[in-house]
Amino acid sequence: MPIHEESLIRPENLRKHEELNIDNVDVSGHWSTFIETRSVADYNENLEREISAFPGGAYIHRCWQCGACTNSCTVNAINPDFNPRYWIYLARLGMEQELLRDKEIIWQCVSCHRCTHVCPRDVEPEGVMKALSHWLEAKGHTPKSQSQHFDEEFYQQILETGKIEEGRIVRNFFNRTGQPLKQPWLIRMVKNLIRGLPIMLMFKMGLSTLFRPKTKDWSKSKHSIEELIEMRELERKKILEGNEAS
Amino acid sequence: MSQSVLVVGGGPAGLSAAKSLASIGQNVTLVEKEEILGGAPILSGYAKLVPSGEWASEAIGRMVRSAENSKSIKVHTSTKVTELTGEPGNFSAKLSNGTEVSVSSVILATGFTHFDSVNKPEWGFGSHPDVVTTTQVEQMISSGKGVHCPSDGRKPDRVAILLCVGSRDRQIGREWCSKICCTVSANLAMEIREELPKCSVYIYYMDIRTFGLYEGQYYWRSQEEFKVKYIKARIAEVTFDGKRVLLKGEDTLVKRPISIPFDLVVHAIGMDPNIENQDISRVFGVELEPHGFIQRAPAYDSIAGTSRAGVYVAGAAVGPETIDDSIAQGQAAAMAALGMATNAA
Repeated sequence: MPIHEESLIRPENLRKHEELNIDNVDVSGHWSTFIETRSVADYNENLEREISAFPGGAYIHRCWQCGACTNSCTVNAINPDFNPRYWIYLARLGMEQELLRDKEIIWQCVSCHRCTHVCPRDVEPEGVMKALSHWLEAKGHTPKSQSQHFDEEFYQQILETGKIEEGRIVRNFFNRTGQPLKQPWLIRMVKNLIRGLPIMLMFKMGLSTLFRPKTKDWSKSKHSIEELIEMRELERKKILEGNEAS
Repeated sequence: MSQSVLVVGGGPAGLSAAKSLASIGQNVTLVEKEEILGGAPILSGYAKLVPSGEWASEAIGRMVRSAENSKSIKVHTSTKVTELTGEPGNFSAKLSNGTEVSVSSVILATGFTHFDSVNKPEWGFGSHPDVVTTTQVEQMISSGKGVHCPSDGRKPDRVAILLCVGSRDRQIGREWCSKICCTVSANLAMEIREELPKCSVYIYYMDIRTFGLYEGQYYWRSQEEFKVKYIKARIAEVTFDGKRVLLKGEDTLVKRPISIPFDLVVHAIGMDPNIENQDISRVFGVELEPHGFIQRAPAYDSIAGTSRAGVYVAGAAVGPETIDDSIAQGQAAAMAALGMATNAA
């Protein structure tokens, strides 16, 4: 006989056993259904530190849960489960499991910045959404998003040469995300380019594809940018591994 | 100004009233039931005061010394008033030490009594040593011992402060807001974080009432600079898990039950009417308001007035009050009493 109350319980909290014997009493069947407690047994105090270590998350400790961010949110208007106010709270109190339940929608922020403009405490919720997404990726809870792949390719090229070369970005981006290079829109664009025959432009593009020119004196800039990135990542790594005291 | 003005109570309000009267040459009889002057901030060993940040012993200590050194103030400690007879402008007061004084008017600055947390047994005070009150934490700080768990003296890693203990609670007949506990708790939370930077401090609240400019100085600052966490939840029960104190309740924003271990749980205790208010009401012939504080006359007609002409009141005797406002009210009552003294002369 189905137990209808089961629908009120979170599926992950249901513990069922096909066969179970407790103290020599056979409780196989429906009698062996148990429910994990909903009670929050502790706070993970490192979670707030972890998330504030990502760019954009530095001000979550200011939040007083007024809900202005969620009320103003573009995405929330379409999907009521998209609730920045709630996620900031979970991050602050270290309710990691609760936060991970929403990992499939957290990254859907469209960065319209309405939340950041209305926030009375300057929490900068839009930045927090970025920090949350990056935290999910860094912890391996979600795969890298396409925009994250694009960003990485973009800044790696800048770091190497001080310049970007669009053809290379597109090629590598498709490569990283496992997409074929033969995209209908790309083929149409190339055909139009050939038809219009901007010879000098194509010549320059060809040259930079072959020789990858660098910005003058780039190595110094490259060195200091790399140093900064390394420093920041080291700090973050320490916090993520829980080695950092408050 | 030959007649004296009787000031009852040597706390901030009473000291302020006495000092104000003395500053213009009015004779004052100051009666204090305890052995020393200073009132709650001194007797209960408060640490740093809101909003000055000065140590209570220094700030209130200055007021005490100034009263003791004044030629116009006659101080009677360990003394109570046992009888007040006569008319406004010409009262006669008998004191428990046998003295009888003729006074033109009376200022009651009889203050309040701290809420006794054993009246809220579900929150663990009295059943576990690591459940303490804000007053006890004040004493830990002011005595120089520092914040610690009374059970074994260890420094806490995690502290919870429960607001509205003995306030806003119909179950125990205390419906009023005690006005100062939110600010005091935010202040204490910052002092704990300052002394023990590795200790997390959580404040469980129903509403936060750090009114006026205290908003920035205490509520915002405690969060922005000291990372104190505020959780909207009224705790259901405080128990003991064998190692630490366990806080049970509902996290109202997550809609989930919580059961969180803490090293130290602090009750932000409220202000009760002075436990002797029934006697005070009888001796001075003043009415009490329904909660048991001294009934105030409408401010428009008579600032600092009571139900009896010639008897004035100031400070926490009329309801929960801050130290600064008690001091201001003391001076207002002094002005009212002085009008009476001058007219009678």
